[in-house]
Amino acid sequence: MSNPPKPALECRDVTVKFGDVTALSDVAVSFAPGQIHAVVGQNGAGKTTFARVAAGLVQPTAGAVDVMGEEIRTGHVSQSRAAGVELVHQSFALPPSFTVAETMEFGATGKGGIYSRRGLAEKWRTHLAGLDVQVDLNRRIRDLPIETQQGIEIARALVMDARVLILDEPTAVLSPSGIDMLFARVRRLKQRGVTVILILHKIREVLGIADTVTVLRGGRKVEGPLPIAEVSAERLANLIVGDAIAKTLDRHERDALVGTKSPVGEGAGHPENATGPSVLSMTAVSTRPDSEGIALDGIDLDIRPGEIVGIAGVEGNGQKTLVRAISALADLASGSIRLAGQDVTGAPLAARRAIGLRIIPFERNVEGLSLTSSLWQNWSARELLQGSLLKVIRPSAVREACDRSLREWSVHYHNSMQKAGSLSGGNAQKVILAREVDSDARLIIAAQPTRGLDIGATAFVWQALRQARDRGAAILLISSDLDELFDISDRVVVMLSGRVNGEFRAPFDIASVGAAMTDAAARTSA
Amino acid sequence: MKDSLLTVVRSLIFVAFALVLCALVFQFAGYNAPTMLWAVADGAFLRSGAIEQSLRWALPLFITAVGVGISFRAGFFNIGAQGQFYVGAICAAFAAEAFKGGPAFLVIPALIIAGMLGGALWALWPGLLRLRSGTDEVITTLMGNFMAGLLLVYVTSGPLKDPSGSGQQASSRPLDAAYRISDSLGLSPTIIGIAVAVGILMWLLVNRTAFGVLASLAGRNGTMVEWQGARLWKLGLSSFVISGALAGLAGTIEFMGPNGRIASGFLPAHGFTAILIALVANLNVVGTAAAAVFFGGLASAALYLPIMAGLPAAAIDIINAAIALFITARSKLVDKVLRLGGRPS
Repeated sequence: MSNPPKPALECRDVTVKFGDVTALSDVAVSFAPGQIHAVVGQNGAGKTTFARVAAGLVQPTAGAVDVMGEEIRTGHVSQSRAAGVELVHQSFALPPSFTVAETMEFGATGKGGIYSRRGLAEKWRTHLAGLDVQVDLNRRIRDLPIETQQGIEIARALVMDARVLILDEPTAVLSPSGIDMLFARVRRLKQRGVTVILILHKIREVLGIADTVTVLRGGRKVEGPLPIAEVSAERLANLIVGDAIAKTLDRHERDALVGTKSPVGEGAGHPENATGPSVLSMTAVSTRPDSEGIALDGIDLDIRPGEIVGIAGVEGNGQKTLVRAISALADLASGSIRLAGQDVTGAPLAARRAIGLRIIPFERNVEGLSLTSSLWQNWSARELLQGSLLKVIRPSAVREACDRSLREWSVHYHNSMQKAGSLSGGNAQKVILAREVDSDARLIIAAQPTRGLDIGATAFVWQALRQARDRGAAILLISSDLDELFDISDRVVVMLSGRVNGEFRAPFDIASVGAAMTDAAARTSA
Repeated sequence: MKDSLLTVVRSLIFVAFALVLCALVFQFAGYNAPTMLWAVADGAFLRSGAIEQSLRWALPLFITAVGVGISFRAGFFNIGAQGQFYVGAICAAFAAEAFKGGPAFLVIPALIIAGMLGGALWALWPGLLRLRSGTDEVITTLMGNFMAGLLLVYVTSGPLKDPSGSGQQASSRPLDAAYRISDSLGLSPTIIGIAVAVGILMWLLVNRTAFGVLASLAGRNGTMVEWQGARLWKLGLSSFVISGALAGLAGTIEFMGPNGRIASGFLPAHGFTAILIALVANLNVVGTAAAAVFFGGLASAALYLPIMAGLPAAAIDIINAAIALFITARSKLVDKVLRLGGRPS
């Protein structure tokens, strides 16, 4: 065509620096209107920063952003919105105590005033129905499933007649069927003429939905936007991972890391190794309700030495409470917990750790490390707690031991006196591994151990967990990434509403695991 | 070690800022600022006998401040040092009544222990409230100060009242000379020995025991040490009780040493100055010693100013307040300047 339409969104040589860190470097990319564009890359590639620049949340250090051919003032949300760019965040923040109608009214327009419940519901019913969000407008956000919440977030973003809708990692919180629903919704938006930019990190999702794909790596644009027909899964995987790292990974590992195809986990599974008596044995464990998450409801779970058991489930279905219950940080209402043959139901965490419980907690920077304390203090905490509090220590000796251990785990750091907060996510996680994965570990809980890590660090963590498993440790892996679970688990247990809703062995079937994640009726055991 | 040096330099910069601010205030109030600051320095350290006078104030302040530092490190903001100081002195005074006539080598340690127990007790209940029901220790320890102050008024005008006393200030009966640990000048080998022992023991506790490392981790991130299996209440409550015991010890020293009795409302700023010292020293034991000497000097100068320079003793309060202001507002900017050209981040 001689006169191509103006791009819906164009970034011209955008650079973003946060202090010394360059998050985006000379990124130039333009997205054609009316299509579904995917932006992919590993963690730390700059995807979210890109989205935030387009939405006006981040002021680029250099470069310009055009919407529909018009340059906008960067770094102002109001300017981006006025131009028709809306962003749906990775972790969306709807007010939990608001009803759907209230959320739409006050979240979308930001205006207050006197209103009636019925009036609001009338006002927003058509809008939500038009976007195929089926929901009672008088229900409160906190009572809604996560897929519906996401639908409302999208509807909220579309109130202002958005022409470009950016969704940041929308699939990360969804079950497989939830992802299908989201993609159907995105296709309908396309039909309405909205340009949709999806930030994704799984190749199979990209191939399933997008018209074009753009790959970022280390803050730079590697390629794109490429028409999806012209790119193979193989090529895309190498573009995302980078040639240097691609060489160090075996093909199977790489496919799991970038989500190339439907995961089955045929490479995993050493059930023949896992024959000893259970290391962890939970019998009918229920917890008392508390403010930190939904309670467990009659959990039975056994893990044998030399076995990795993965916990699948949409976030917020009791995974956190499960970890807290095993760690003596949640109150049990009934049931019993045995660790390496000993009844530890009433025992404190210190006693459980003495038996060999190790925890890589969910929140690396809160539960795992004290960011303002030095590395050696963080590293030594577990050992120091095993003796008397008045035990005399020689800090220089502890620091030497810490240095040896951190080098063994190939942590990149200057010296052990530096603050834990000065490390990158991958290195911080390695410090936790160095502390928690020792030769006395009998049961290792790994809760979202690779969240936020780049591909190299993720592969490192997987390797560490496998090695611990092969040494005979039992491993409980909690992850919301099915590729990760299927790749390294020997068994997968699905949690739903604080219960076990199905147990699967390799080769895993994503459809039936997905069904167990969302549907209580699909209680099966394969 | 670079870090601790940096801390000292930073604190000195803040103190310098504070002194400049004070100089401006004095100048605008109609005094000659350089003369005034010189008078402070002279009264604190330069004139003959000033060092001894300053140490008399510095040693009890040091003991209380080290304790404050221990609880702050563990993340418990015990600002009740003043109350613990009073209750320690009161308990020692009661013990002195009870053990009257006993041999000094038994009574003196007994009084010291009684004083430390009293201070510890006055820290124990806010600590328990915080750990059992999450009551904010800042509020309870602050209230504890007022309660202890009123208790002091009561005991000095009630059970321990000196019937022969006739001043405006009610006070207790004087301690038998045999049990005094210093004369009224307040500097004696016993007091110096106690302060040195406290300094060494607390330095060891902070820097050479598992407790020190874990309490510091707990103070910065309690959640993390809980996930390691630590019992926060153990770390927190013991830090709380140690800080109370040390404040009580300082109160006992004032009672058995320079004062020889307890008077209602004596040394009303002791605990707060100690908090300031701990903060200036960034909770570091060695730094606390240095800061205590500095603030001891100011306290001693406060007595000297009205007589020698015709200035109000409140000038010292202004200096203290200005330092508090700068220390609590410690800025990132100063850190940045200090790190310019420093090691790679």
